[in-house]
Amino acid sequence: MKQEAILQVENLKQYFPLRKGIFSTLFDRRPSYYPAVDNLNFSVGKQEILGFVGESGCGKSTMSRTILQLIKPTDGKVIFKGTRVDTLNRGEFKPYRRKMQMIFQDPFGSLNPRRTVSETLRQTIRIHSLAPDRATEDELIRKTLEEVGLNPVEEYWNKYPKLLSGGQLQRVSIGRVLILQPEFVIADESVSMLDVSVRIGILDLILKMREKYGISFIYITHDLITARYICDRIAIMYLGKIVEIGPTEEIVNNPRHPYTQALITAVPVPDPTAETPEVPIKGFVPTTPENNIDGCNFAERCLNELERCTSGEPPMIEVGEQHFASCFGVDGVPTVN
Amino acid sequence: MALVEVEDLKIHFMTRRGPAKAVDNVNFAIKSNETIGFIGESGCGKTTTAMALMRFVKAPGKIVDGSIKFMGVDILELDEEAMRQTRGNFISIVRQEAQNALNPVVTIGKQITEMIMEHDQVSKSKALDRAKKQLNLVGISDTRINSYPHEFSGGMKQRAMVAIATACNPKLLILDEPTTGLDVIVQRQILGMLKMLKAELGLTAVFISHDLSVVAETCDRVAVMYAGKIMEQSDTTSLYQNPLHPYSKALIGAYPSLKGERKRLRSIPGAPMSLINPPPGCRFAPRCELVQDICRKQEPPINNVDGRLIACHMVT
Repeated sequence: MKQEAILQVENLKQYFPLRKGIFSTLFDRRPSYYPAVDNLNFSVGKQEILGFVGESGCGKSTMSRTILQLIKPTDGKVIFKGTRVDTLNRGEFKPYRRKMQMIFQDPFGSLNPRRTVSETLRQTIRIHSLAPDRATEDELIRKTLEEVGLNPVEEYWNKYPKLLSGGQLQRVSIGRVLILQPEFVIADESVSMLDVSVRIGILDLILKMREKYGISFIYITHDLITARYICDRIAIMYLGKIVEIGPTEEIVNNPRHPYTQALITAVPVPDPTAETPEVPIKGFVPTTPENNIDGCNFAERCLNELERCTSGEPPMIEVGEQHFASCFGVDGVPTVN
Repeated sequence: MALVEVEDLKIHFMTRRGPAKAVDNVNFAIKSNETIGFIGESGCGKTTTAMALMRFVKAPGKIVDGSIKFMGVDILELDEEAMRQTRGNFISIVRQEAQNALNPVVTIGKQITEMIMEHDQVSKSKALDRAKKQLNLVGISDTRINSYPHEFSGGMKQRAMVAIATACNPKLLILDEPTTGLDVIVQRQILGMLKMLKAELGLTAVFISHDLSVVAETCDRVAVMYAGKIMEQSDTTSLYQNPLHPYSKALIGAYPSLKGERKRLRSIPGAPMSLINPPPGCRFAPRCELVQDICRKQEPPINNVDGRLIACHMVT
């Protein structure tokens, strides 16, 4: 997968400054910040779907906004098809914006309520000058709506968002992305607001876009179950860092990092006869930002905490084929980065 | 005798285009100490049904017909004051989105004591003692009694909500999506706490969720709702192992799992019908795979199949 990476992220950091009082600003010169995204390294291959799973506040959404240059990174590199995009200015980035797109979580909020379905898509076409005249625009809209499963097209053409269901709205959002023929799309919690009965339809649509148009995806979610359904690889995030990354089935069936293990044990199973084992974790996600954690972020919640866990940061250790975990407690070959 | 008996419950929402039949002819009973789950898509009437148990249906919604007997008394006949005393003392609710249900400018302790003093004639210090006990019961240290909601995490807010709801030892606790929006690890902790609490206080519970796996873990019996009607009522194990109603089958079939083989699933085609002037016959007919002529003409009767109640012409 490395040989044809469409997106490479190197040492990506996004630190948010913390507000300080006047005295600490004057007398305490130490910079005060919250590392929302801390030193991420990964790459997304062509036609790959890479999942990012973690609890709220772990930095998944900040990461996606940083990759798409909606906020500038504090440090690190974002390389899209061999070009470093994080140093480009707005104008220079515009052609890349077409190629790197995003599907948002809330279809009710991300579509303009005063535009009909066709107007929404038409606006996208015009912003990016995708069609020379109105007839071509119409044709493009028609094809896109069919592609995302809004058939018959006439029925949706003049509908306002409030008349559509969540699933249908999400299809319009996907259409708006698809019309740009992107090469890389970030789907941020794209199905978590939808009913179970229509979720699979949207996930299948994402899979179809991958097959048919060769689009690569980053799929961000807190829900391991849907991640397992569509992802080729999954990265588990905890407090701004990737703690484990590997092929989906490896992560689900053979998790190595204690946090991944806790996360997987906690996922409820739709089987009333199943046992509910104790979740191997203690404490809570820290709510106050601390920037002086030496060592492993997860140490204070870990059940097999060792002495060295609090003294130094654990390296990424190769524990299997393409499977890495950042923990002192696992055996394997440490890697650089 | 069952603790709650609901008969022919009909709730309509008056809209400009006519009444929307949000809950239509719903019958169910809840035995003491059991947990009954309501599952279904959004808009199927599960929350409305639960609100009716508290008599919390507000205009434009209206309970137009039916009876809700709680310990033999029809709560729809009670006057406002008697109903006010029933809420909290006998029936209590933990609402969706606890983060918004707590008053942000009042301390948690005050919000619990408010509830206690409203229903029981006790002094302020006694109420405070009980509030501390409640907090400990739901797994929050009583040193946090003077904290404000914003100082709590999402899971703690949900715990605080449960502490308020159970402060007056109700018989029936309604849990409306109690873990939606929480992370899985926190969700597991809340579910464990609820289980413990249920045993400790001898609670009967109504559990509303769209998450089938959470319901599987917590409920003894499940009612599957669709477009304002109960399609299937069955004990949890048989429902998940062998769903009988085509809708239950489709719903459970569309649900991915983390355990077992990774397989392709099928979503249910189409969308629920409008509840304003629904056509005659079965409400699931337009999306059903087994649909026959009779399904579009006649409303299916409720059949008892091995102790499970199924509303379908094709399953007898």
